[in-house]
Amino acid sequence: MSGHFSAYSFVDRITELQPGKHAKGEFLVPAHVVRFPATLLAEAAGQLAAWNAMAYLDYKVRPVAGLAAEIRFGPDARPGQRLDIEVSIETCELDAVSYSAWVDADGIRVLELDHSVGPMLPMEEFDSPDAVRERFELLCGAGAPSGRFEGVPEPDVEIVERVPEQRVVAMLRVPAEAAFFADHFARRPVYPGTLLLDAHIGVSLMFAAESKRWPPGTRFAASRILGMKMRSFTSPGEVLELWVDVDPPADPTKSTANTGVRKNGKPIATGGIEIIARSAD
Amino acid sequence: MAEPTKQEIQAVYPTVAKTIADALGCDVDQVKLDVSLIEGLDAESIDFLDLVFRLERAFKIKIPRGKIVEDARGDLPEAEFEQKGVVTEAGLQRLRAFLTEVPADRFVTPLKVADVPRLFTTETFCKLVVRAQQAAAAAG
Repeated sequence: MSGHFSAYSFVDRITELQPGKHAKGEFLVPAHVVRFPATLLAEAAGQLAAWNAMAYLDYKVRPVAGLAAEIRFGPDARPGQRLDIEVSIETCELDAVSYSAWVDADGIRVLELDHSVGPMLPMEEFDSPDAVRERFELLCGAGAPSGRFEGVPEPDVEIVERVPEQRVVAMLRVPAEAAFFADHFARRPVYPGTLLLDAHIGVSLMFAAESKRWPPGTRFAASRILGMKMRSFTSPGEVLELWVDVDPPADPTKSTANTGVRKNGKPIATGGIEIIARSAD
Repeated sequence: MAEPTKQEIQAVYPTVAKTIADALGCDVDQVKLDVSLIEGLDAESIDFLDLVFRLERAFKIKIPRGKIVEDARGDLPEAEFEQKGVVTEAGLQRLRAFLTEVPADRFVTPLKVADVPRLFTTETFCKLVVRAQQAAAAAG
């Protein structure tokens, strides 16, 4: 089970725990990783909430990505920084866990996650309950060795349609094989929703950079994700269509868009994105 | 708790319809009172979770998970409501009595518990909201 609990795991240690209520944890972003997308901060927050919820419900079920009312991104977390993760659980039941969370990197707030909901599915489908229980005990005790995350590949996207200033559509080829599939999840590989979101943000930023609205050299960053909903799993090797519909400009400092993902023509994810312009360096 | 009246249902319907439209990404005009959310509006299980949380926010109420089926079951023990994931005849009677907005021919047998949400219409959620409002008022 190479990569299990390391290739896509973002909690090294749980430092405070109120079962079904609250948790704090830590993760060291390995200094050697080339790329640590901001969406992995949301993954870290979701995983800490998941650990709490799975233990609270005696490993019968595990949450998967579902809804997030709002994700706010701060400055990027950099390789070598320590993440302090905190979750506040609103409800934790056999059908879903709902929570809010925030992440600091070396004391700077880098992510806030409001009202996220993870639907619960049977644990047995995704992992060994005993292995998960054992891992949780390790995280709550001495903690897991840090530095085992090896990074994630750049998403393989190809723009297939663009209407300047209005709309862009891209195809995302999900890799057939990748290290993270061994960890997400051990018994059923699923393309992580947070990597899908990362790919979508990348397409949105690229499209913003093509816009004539902004001075040359403007840099962009995703500042908020609104009303994100994941409706379906994506398996290794599948091809997804990502679309971005840009709203008419309303604020000189930012751009907003509706986004969605289709698989074989069927919507599998939706949400909104806000992009802010940063001054040229 | 008394069956919500038509007036009570109509009072919450516009907000419920808008909330459903927002959750499903459809036009509010499609959200008729009698439309099945799954069969008419392509809702999936994640949409019901989303919808319940949105209704809680829109109406400032609390809706426990599984509330519709739980209320329909009433005092009938769970083992008499369903067996091996299939709603019993006694369970069906409770569902028919509770989901009065659902046409009788939609209660097919055998009915799996997992398929009960297929029965839910916009009016089901209007009634859910009205009952939650009544419960909140009764609790003071």
